[in-house]
Amino acid sequence: MFIIEIENLSHRFEDGTLGLDRISLQIQEGAFVVVAGPNGSGKTTLVRHLNGLLLPTSGFVRLAGVCVQHDLLRARRLVGMMFQDADSQIVGETVYGDVAFGPENLKLNRNRIKERVSHALDAVGLTDFADQSPHLLSGGEKRRLAIAGILAMEPRVIAFDEPFSSLDFPGVKQVLKQILALHQSGHTILVITHDLEKVIAHADRLIVMQKGKIASDGVPAEIVNAVETFGVRAPCASLLGLEVSSWLN
Amino acid sequence: MAELTSFGFRSGTSLLHRLDVRFKLFFLILISLISLSGDFIRLGIFTGLLTALVIHSRLPLKSGLKGLRFFLFLLLLILVTRMVTTPGDAILEIKSYSVTRQGILSGVLICWRLTIIVLLGFAFVFTTRSLEIKAAVAWVLKPLAFIPGKRIATMMGLTTRFVPVILNQANETAEAQRARCVENRKNPVYRLTRLGIPLIRRTFEQADKLAIAMEARCYTDNRTDPELSATRIDWMALGVMILICSLVVSI
Repeated sequence: MFIIEIENLSHRFEDGTLGLDRISLQIQEGAFVVVAGPNGSGKTTLVRHLNGLLLPTSGFVRLAGVCVQHDLLRARRLVGMMFQDADSQIVGETVYGDVAFGPENLKLNRNRIKERVSHALDAVGLTDFADQSPHLLSGGEKRRLAIAGILAMEPRVIAFDEPFSSLDFPGVKQVLKQILALHQSGHTILVITHDLEKVIAHADRLIVMQKGKIASDGVPAEIVNAVETFGVRAPCASLLGLEVSSWLN
Repeated sequence: MAELTSFGFRSGTSLLHRLDVRFKLFFLILISLISLSGDFIRLGIFTGLLTALVIHSRLPLKSGLKGLRFFLFLLLLILVTRMVTTPGDAILEIKSYSVTRQGILSGVLICWRLTIIVLLGFAFVFTTRSLEIKAAVAWVLKPLAFIPGKRIATMMGLTTRFVPVILNQANETAEAQRARCVENRKNPVYRLTRLGIPLIRRTFEQADKLAIAMEARCYTDNRTDPELSATRIDWMALGVMILICSLVVSI
């Protein structure tokens, strides 16, 4: 079943720049997709159409059969989004308050909120930080908090926009482990990045974007060697003719 | 940033920690109002009560006083001003200024009143989560149909959330400018403009990103009501507080 169906999607910004140019693609439920491309290729613009943060100039996006524009609230419940700058995603004054923000917006009762928050904090290993100010967390912990905030909304698709930027090696491993755990629990994962090295070993599909269009789309092992043509650095191992291995190994 | 965040909620199990935030807010207002017109005896009783609560709640007085150091300077200024500007029996004369007995008494009284109010606020902030304060504000404003209580409470929360971010950014910008020898420019207006403009721009950019992130998490004014519940301890504390305040007022 396709959880995401995009047809002829174009987006033109107010200043006239064409962000997306007639994009069509389908994503299977439970897939692990990496969307790569150089800066300004339209990766973030594409993903922001999935939950209606941006609306198409033409074309449409369907989530589990329903057009995003017809029900924005449903779209935002279905697609959780982790932004590039985890700091800017933090709304609460405490870790608990931040995770509870989404469920409170869904008007859930307090018991349900507590249940969801404790489950989400447990899933990312931040239960002991519940009363702490989010600004005192490390970079990796902030990313995990952002993931907990998304999990509390119980989405089916989770999109990560540059989840590894500015993280040290342990931070990258923490976040990567979390992403894999979410994928194993049945979530559809979309990782937007220009740095394939850290995540490509786990993906089952690679979409490369350039100038608002899909430049290449396929199984990573088959197309990864050609990504440098589109302004994306190929993983070192593939350049050396070796198999790309996980950063967790 | 660490200095700023040290002046905030500290978890605990004391009576003050367990009281419902609405009752604490009521006690804060009640004692503050009585203190504003209180004499030495009344202030003495409240000081005794407050001291007992501070000790019982194990409030971090040291870091609290550190956070209040500018307030202490303000108190000193008030005291000195009252000492030399209140007419009365002169105790000491320095050039054309005379320190009067009435001035000292009036200065000490005003400083004492302000100290009690600030210490009450200090005890309130250290024993109450900002989430609870937000909830209390939404609760207080709920009957006022023309005021969007929940939105105001959310804005309060966001302001609290933004303070450390803005301070952090100001620090980063200032450091980047120091690295490029801004200290060689002696004109304070130039330096303030060079710091202020990028800081404001970055703050607005952050606010923009935050608005998008809130939208992605289905932000609405019609959210789950905050959780507040009064227990027997709260009502007992209310009774005791009304009794103490009645006694203090009747003295």
